[in-house]
Amino acid sequence: MAHAPTANGTAMTGATSLVKSLEAAKVDVMFGIPGGAILPAYDPIYDSTIRHILVRHEQGAGHAATGYAQVTGRAGVCIATSGPGATNLVTPLADAAMDSVPLVAITGQVPSVAIGTDAFQEADIRGITMPFTKHNFLVTNPDDIPRVIAEAFHIATSGRPGPVLVDIAKDALQKQTSYNWPTTIELAGYKPQTQPNKSAINDAAALIAQSAKPIFYVGGGVIKANAARELLELAQLLGAPVVTTLMARGAFPDSHPLHLGMPGMHGTVAAVTGLQKADLLITLGARFDDRVTGKLSTFAPNAKVIHADIDPAEIGKNRYADVAVIGDLRETIKALIPALTATLAKGRADLSPWLASVNKLKATYPLGYDTPADGALSPQFVIERLGKICGPDTIFAAGVGQHQMWASQFIGYEKPRTWLNSGGAGTMGYAVPAAMGAKVGAPDTTVWAIDGDGCFQMTNQELVTCALNNIPIKVAIINNESLGMVRQWQTLFYDSRYSNTSLESKRVPNFPMLAEAMGCIGLSCESPADVDATIEKAMSINDQPVVVDFRVHRDAMVWPMVAAGTSNDEIMIARATAPDWDSQEL
Amino acid sequence: MAIHKLEVLVENEPGVLARIAGLFARRTYNIDSLVVGPTENSKISKMIIEVSVEGHSLEQVIAQLDKLINVIRIEEVLEGAISNTKHDTQPDYQN
Repeated sequence: MAHAPTANGTAMTGATSLVKSLEAAKVDVMFGIPGGAILPAYDPIYDSTIRHILVRHEQGAGHAATGYAQVTGRAGVCIATSGPGATNLVTPLADAAMDSVPLVAITGQVPSVAIGTDAFQEADIRGITMPFTKHNFLVTNPDDIPRVIAEAFHIATSGRPGPVLVDIAKDALQKQTSYNWPTTIELAGYKPQTQPNKSAINDAAALIAQSAKPIFYVGGGVIKANAARELLELAQLLGAPVVTTLMARGAFPDSHPLHLGMPGMHGTVAAVTGLQKADLLITLGARFDDRVTGKLSTFAPNAKVIHADIDPAEIGKNRYADVAVIGDLRETIKALIPALTATLAKGRADLSPWLASVNKLKATYPLGYDTPADGALSPQFVIERLGKICGPDTIFAAGVGQHQMWASQFIGYEKPRTWLNSGGAGTMGYAVPAAMGAKVGAPDTTVWAIDGDGCFQMTNQELVTCALNNIPIKVAIINNESLGMVRQWQTLFYDSRYSNTSLESKRVPNFPMLAEAMGCIGLSCESPADVDATIEKAMSINDQPVVVDFRVHRDAMVWPMVAAGTSNDEIMIARATAPDWDSQEL
Repeated sequence: MAIHKLEVLVENEPGVLARIAGLFARRTYNIDSLVVGPTENSKISKMIIEVSVEGHSLEQVIAQLDKLINVIRIEEVLEGAISNTKHDTQPDYQN
């Protein structure tokens, strides 16, 4: 939407200056809830061309801004009042920091004279959010508002993206000021390097050309850098296998023959073992997270490491890098392609034995699941059918737990930004509000939340927001009347003592009735024979949010699994069942 | 256990000390001593931080410190050396 730019030097209140600044930052939508300290800002919001979506809980505003950002690549914006309004943003800010999501959170603060007096609805939100914002600001002078907003968007979206919080004292919003949108941004301590070092690129190319067992270890940074196309070209140039982490699903097509799937705790045998047996990890925008490496000292023990990342602090944090390439990943891969082409022309290792061995693993140990003998519904079957029926253009946002792992495993992702989840923080309750934000960012695309019954009960109230604001998302509740992933750990590691993981009933709450109460269509399904028809019915409704209660059996488990703290070599393909290594040659 | 002395130039803004102390605490780095003082530029303060590096590399401590937006420059002070060792605040290549 076009805004008539406001001339610098125009007199106005701090609140109007804030809204003009957000317009100048090209914000088209924000998610929030007003309250006392932020109230001055809501008066000019009433007149603004920016769409403000009134959510039902500030946590929903934060995750919605995240879903919007993950789908569009632009900064998501959320806004809340002081005290509890601001502290309710803490979880989504921590979530966004862990998954490098560009977010700008605006909070009202008590008047500057009251700061530090334990005033009504006072909370030191700048202090609280220091550990998991990329940066944060407390503004007490209205003249600073445009500069701080410009800096906040610059910091959130450049370099390694992340959340930025701007806390503004109420009196700074009320006072008169003169609007001055800055033409340049000067941050002495912030100059992210985007262009990769040429000698590092050449060293990387040389190392790749020497490798007989290279593998691409692809993380979420590839999606953030919009480098999926370049990655495809690089992978095909080398012809080496690719694994995509939980945050990188969709960065490389699942249907591609070089793709081994997801590595890590619930990764495929081929992806996990491919990393373990490789002699070179070509690490692109990944951070050697414990859920990928397993016991770090035994991770990929014979591999040299090329580590390409925008964040210098990721180099050597968990794993020594033989060659480090700092820079924007798209620029890095674009520089690596000609360098590698030239190096490979002088001679290259024969990768065919390596490809044959990982492809044998891929063929021998495909992902699969058991169907219960009593005819009960399998959660994996529901999720697999969702992926097949809805197709690769659909956006899926998962909650956290078993359903999240199955949604990563059993849906084929072909395109970046079609798979959203809370990877680093593991925030239960992420799915519904994130799907809401995703639908706002991509209104012409079908958006499904795949949620657990435990997760859904944390943030489902945002379906009211969806129903009243024409945001017709679809929600599949994988209802196993359990906190399923925790229950799985109790089965495996606590002698099946199910302490406080049973949600007791598939009928309470009655999810279809709850959905109807919130202005959505409520459907249910408990037979495998009805799954396709139910999904197709949900797909046919586009003017209202739809919630489908899939009542599934509770004993399904996520496999394969590398137990926490153990080596990736200990991967189990089912309970007490390890792959038959004797028949494999790697 | 090696002790390194870092000279850190920071923006003189409220909360900067909390940002640095919080970073060291949450990443389990040990501060042996910390001195904060003004510089000739009133907008910039200088911190001398003695950090005992155990289980972390000095490069990692410096890289994490440098991610703080208010940190402008980090140099390692080597006793007896004529000049400090400059740590490129955005190391583009390290082995």
